[in-house]
Amino acid sequence: MNLLEEINYRNAELNTRRHFLKKCVAGMGSLALGGLMGSALTGCDSDKEIAETLMRDASNPMKALPPHYIAKAKRVIYLHMAGAPSQLELFDYKPELQKLHGLDCPPSLLEGKRFAFIQGTPQMLGPQFNFNQYGDSGSWVSDRLPHFTECVDDVAFLKAVHTDEFNHAPAQLLMHTGGARLGKPSMGSWVTYGLGSENQDLPGFVVLVSGGTTPSAGKSVWGSGFLPSVYQGVQCRTQGDPVLYLSDPKGMSRELRQKSISAINKLNQQQYEEVGDPEIMTRISQYEMAFKMQMSVPDTMDINDEPQYIHDMYGTEPGKSSFANNCLLARRLAEKGVRFIQLYHWGWDAHGAGKNEALNHGFKDRCKEVDQPMSALLKDLKQRGLLEDTLVIWGGEFGRTPMRENRGGKEMTFVGRDHHLEAFTMWMAGGGIKPGITFGETDEIGYYGIKDRVHVHDIQATILNQLGLNHERLTYNFQGRDFRLTDVHGNVIEKILA
Amino acid sequence: MRIRLASLLGLTGAMMAAGVWSCNSSSEEKVDFNAEVRPIINGKCISCHGGVKQSGEFSLLFEEDAMEVNKSGKHGIIPGKAEESEMIKRITHADPEQRMPPEGPALSNEEVETLKRWINQGAKWEDHWSFVPPDPAELELQDSQSPDANPIDHFIIAKLNEVGLEPSPLASPEVLARRLSIDLVGLPPSKEMIRDLQADNSLKNYEKWVDRLLDSPSYGENWASMWLDLARYADSKGYEADRHREMWKYRDWVIKAFNQNMPFDQFTIEQLAGDLLPNPTKDQLIATGFHRNTMTNDEGGTDDEEFRVAAVLDRVNTTWEVWQGITMACVQCHSHPYDPIRHDEYYEFYAFLNNSQDKDSYPVESPVLPVYTEIDLQKKENIQRWIDSVQASGGIAQKASLLKAKEEELKELKSYSLPIMQELAEEEKRQTFVFDRGNWTTHGEEVYPGVPGSLPPLPEGSPYNRLGMAQWLVSGENPLTARVTVNRLWAKLFGKGIVLTQEDFGSQGNAPTHPELLDWMAVHWVQDMKWDIKKLLKLMVMSQTYRQSSTISEEAQEKDPANYYLSRGPRVRLSAEQIRDQSLAVSGLLSPKMLGPSVMPHQPEGIWQVVYNGAQWKTSEGEDQHRRAVYTYIRRTSPYPSMITFDGPSREFCINRRINTNTPLQALATLNDPVYIEAAQAMADSLLKVSNKPEEQITKGFEMSIFRSPTADELEILLSLYQESKGHFSNSKEGLQNLDLTEMNPEKNALTVVANAIMNQDAFITKN
Repeated sequence: MNLLEEINYRNAELNTRRHFLKKCVAGMGSLALGGLMGSALTGCDSDKEIAETLMRDASNPMKALPPHYIAKAKRVIYLHMAGAPSQLELFDYKPELQKLHGLDCPPSLLEGKRFAFIQGTPQMLGPQFNFNQYGDSGSWVSDRLPHFTECVDDVAFLKAVHTDEFNHAPAQLLMHTGGARLGKPSMGSWVTYGLGSENQDLPGFVVLVSGGTTPSAGKSVWGSGFLPSVYQGVQCRTQGDPVLYLSDPKGMSRELRQKSISAINKLNQQQYEEVGDPEIMTRISQYEMAFKMQMSVPDTMDINDEPQYIHDMYGTEPGKSSFANNCLLARRLAEKGVRFIQLYHWGWDAHGAGKNEALNHGFKDRCKEVDQPMSALLKDLKQRGLLEDTLVIWGGEFGRTPMRENRGGKEMTFVGRDHHLEAFTMWMAGGGIKPGITFGETDEIGYYGIKDRVHVHDIQATILNQLGLNHERLTYNFQGRDFRLTDVHGNVIEKILA
Repeated sequence: MRIRLASLLGLTGAMMAAGVWSCNSSSEEKVDFNAEVRPIINGKCISCHGGVKQSGEFSLLFEEDAMEVNKSGKHGIIPGKAEESEMIKRITHADPEQRMPPEGPALSNEEVETLKRWINQGAKWEDHWSFVPPDPAELELQDSQSPDANPIDHFIIAKLNEVGLEPSPLASPEVLARRLSIDLVGLPPSKEMIRDLQADNSLKNYEKWVDRLLDSPSYGENWASMWLDLARYADSKGYEADRHREMWKYRDWVIKAFNQNMPFDQFTIEQLAGDLLPNPTKDQLIATGFHRNTMTNDEGGTDDEEFRVAAVLDRVNTTWEVWQGITMACVQCHSHPYDPIRHDEYYEFYAFLNNSQDKDSYPVESPVLPVYTEIDLQKKENIQRWIDSVQASGGIAQKASLLKAKEEELKELKSYSLPIMQELAEEEKRQTFVFDRGNWTTHGEEVYPGVPGSLPPLPEGSPYNRLGMAQWLVSGENPLTARVTVNRLWAKLFGKGIVLTQEDFGSQGNAPTHPELLDWMAVHWVQDMKWDIKKLLKLMVMSQTYRQSSTISEEAQEKDPANYYLSRGPRVRLSAEQIRDQSLAVSGLLSPKMLGPSVMPHQPEGIWQVVYNGAQWKTSEGEDQHRRAVYTYIRRTSPYPSMITFDGPSREFCINRRINTNTPLQALATLNDPVYIEAAQAMADSLLKVSNKPEEQITKGFEMSIFRSPTADELEILLSLYQESKGHFSNSKEGLQNLDLTEMNPEKNALTVVANAIMNQDAFITKN
């Protein structure tokens, strides 16, 4: 008990709500925190763990916490292209595949493989767009991303990413929660659980969705799984209430709401004096936070106050729900110290089964929707000095086949590619990542990674690493087991670190 | 460390202090394996010498492995010979390269001594406490001395005395009435109940209300929520398309089973294997919906077998979690790292569940049972009876046209298709194999249905199928089922279990705070109460322990801030369902309608944006907007927002314990969710009818909500809010707008703001 008492004392010292915390953590300290911490405390058997646990503040679960070691990145902006864009039409240039275009796929590529839709013998499909090299790095980019060609010297391309899942929902879950089945906490939840947030007036983990629909795996991709629900992602919307129930009923003024919250808190203060339950003090602080969020969220979400040159840069139109607006919002949230900003843009599932999901139609539209805003985001972060400590990640949940999809064994009207888990391209920028490099290589048709392959868990380990978190140490005890984002896998991709 | 209760209860409190319980570490003292040795092993050794890693071929998980010769050809443990045992040599080795554990500090002298003494005393192994059946002989109760104390209190008070705490005084009748009503039926107490208990707060009168509440149909609606979390009940299938699934009839079965007070053994068998009972009734088939709540991915291009396997794995894990409180997910890939369950034993259990017919692809979903709403079922039975009687009386010719009309009517009754369990025919039975590292495509050796060796065998005469599996769980021999269930019910009332980790009774879970109490209740429940849930709940709520005030004294805050020893009554935030139901109830909006298809109360626009699926949230009409929360439609990938906000699970997988949080989003929900504004408006309406004096109106609203009058300070705070609100609305051209209605009356709007504040105070959203 001695160490506990000592840490309790230091914790109380650190805290402004000293009297409350002293009460809260004295004696059976770990149990008092139990309501918030869940079973995190049950496995404490080393001094270090106890120390880490008690750095936490029961009245403020989003309090900024120190990382495991010095962090290169303070926050993350993750641009997820839901539906999985084709690497072969964007970054992974395969002239050899062009030569094989229209030929039957050799059986060696099909044996023992499972595809979502390809049946029988499909034909090889050459790159559908022209490629060129750009920047000092000489990175290959297709003509679908003209704006992005100006950013290639700021990013690190990962050309040989692979995953275990070839259906959208499980693959998205694997990418964002580290497990293909439902129930695990998402990356943003892990990060806010591990680091808290630097802005107490805004949620620490914000999710922005565009493309007309949520990702295939639904809201679980930003759920908190078995972590306390306070760490789940908060979806901010560009239409309607930016956060659910944020707006007061019409007719209620800000002043009146302030008075009503103040009355509630006074009642609660009286109650606290009567019954002495520290949970009441937490509730008071959460009502204060709710009121602050009512002020700061709409301010942050309102992009009308941005100068015209910024709107021109991103291609934003205030009031619309678009990827462009979300990119600008991402920068605004990053500026305010939000820890994890997750964007989803739906519509990349270019099977060729319909016009909107054809490489030569819908896919081109998607490219147009993201090219300018994502490039503007990188440039804007850079010009504000934010790119240095903001880690930006771009990618889908898997890749696409070098074969043309032949759903039902037939040639389809539109051109598309099937799901492919062996190789796809992602890029990362800022936050201590080496700029202007390409890491990893696929074979001559882009089917397998042949050099420097990285798995989804390696990406996750690297993201946590840049935030100063050791992915093997960021654990949570649930159902008798210490769980982590990377399950029992994951290696930091050291070679792309600056 | 098991003590004889009979002797213990003979002592007075003061004498029961430390001496009886504390461990005397003299060398003659027998070492208690579970209390002294196992914690050292689990803390310092098991992560490398357990079920996953068995470094040096030495494992401390099973006795036979621990005593085996290890890789170096030496015995880790030689009973009676500590100095010769390799384990002792290594933990005391002078060379840091050799010394165990390789990382972290060495074992303390005390720990080494304990291990040495244990080995010298013969290295007697004991199973983990929860795997050892409770011994009724050791739990015999003596006559109680106080007429109002029940057996539970003896255990609690003994422990309080030991740590030097006193029980709290009993809670006031109002507080107790609210606590009891919310706990048993999930709703605030009636005025009648408050008045009656205020007039007569005898235990006998309290007992009358306990019985009344247990008999109320609302009881089943409240307790069903707990079970539906475990059953991962939802109205959709999960994953990408997350299509609608017709499961509500199963939910109704659970509500009715609680209301009928179905004994827990029957409750278990019908849900797990109702279809395998001789001539199963329709209700017994409906019960098997339990394991058809598994998720399925019918996204294009999915391998159906992969998700069938995933569903069976989920059924194994859920069965273990619900009835055994043992986490089995680990064992899918390897032997359990901490608990005595081997990898192949997992798949032996899997074999029980691997032979159901179910097919969950799209659009085929089978097998299903046609079911009807209660009203339609009545109609159907009446018509059928009429047709039968006409046919029996031979009057078909005369009544031909009427008969035709009746048959038409019969056809028009809407039937719903409830997925149920059915076993494959004998010749279609699947083989079951161990999956190497949990990968379903890599088969290991073939296995046959069976239960882990660390637990009792299947009861004599039970078949080796799902039915036998269910009978095994509730045979009374199983050491876990009753403990886990008693603990779960206890946790619902007291806010935390006797075993805090409700989901984990294994060696990594928390030890019970009151092991004798847990065992006594478990034995008593099975042997004397015959698995009767209402009787068990009644026993708990009749205890003094439950009826204590929840006010925290300075001393209790110092010695027991988390109420670990129960020196005061429970004080816990209401559940997601209860928060909604309570607001609707106190404002008079709550619909009493029970059962039937799930409803869609108001939800903000744009919550449901679903891939490849035209499903839409269609707001229910009339009273269906104000049904109890247990009837709200649950779509797994997009659950009802305010349920999630208050820690309701998405029902994707079995949840044994909701972790209560306290977040700003919760504040925003109860402040601004239109349903809470509606409730505040409805309360304002009724207050306007009661009086025209604001003081009286506010006092009344306060009493309607938390069943006591406001203090002078509280009244002052609310009165001032009222005046400010009224001033605001009198001077504003805008009224207060909610949903499609705009209210212009400044008094009503001011009372609405006040009611909203009353219904946001901690005392309202917390069970006191």
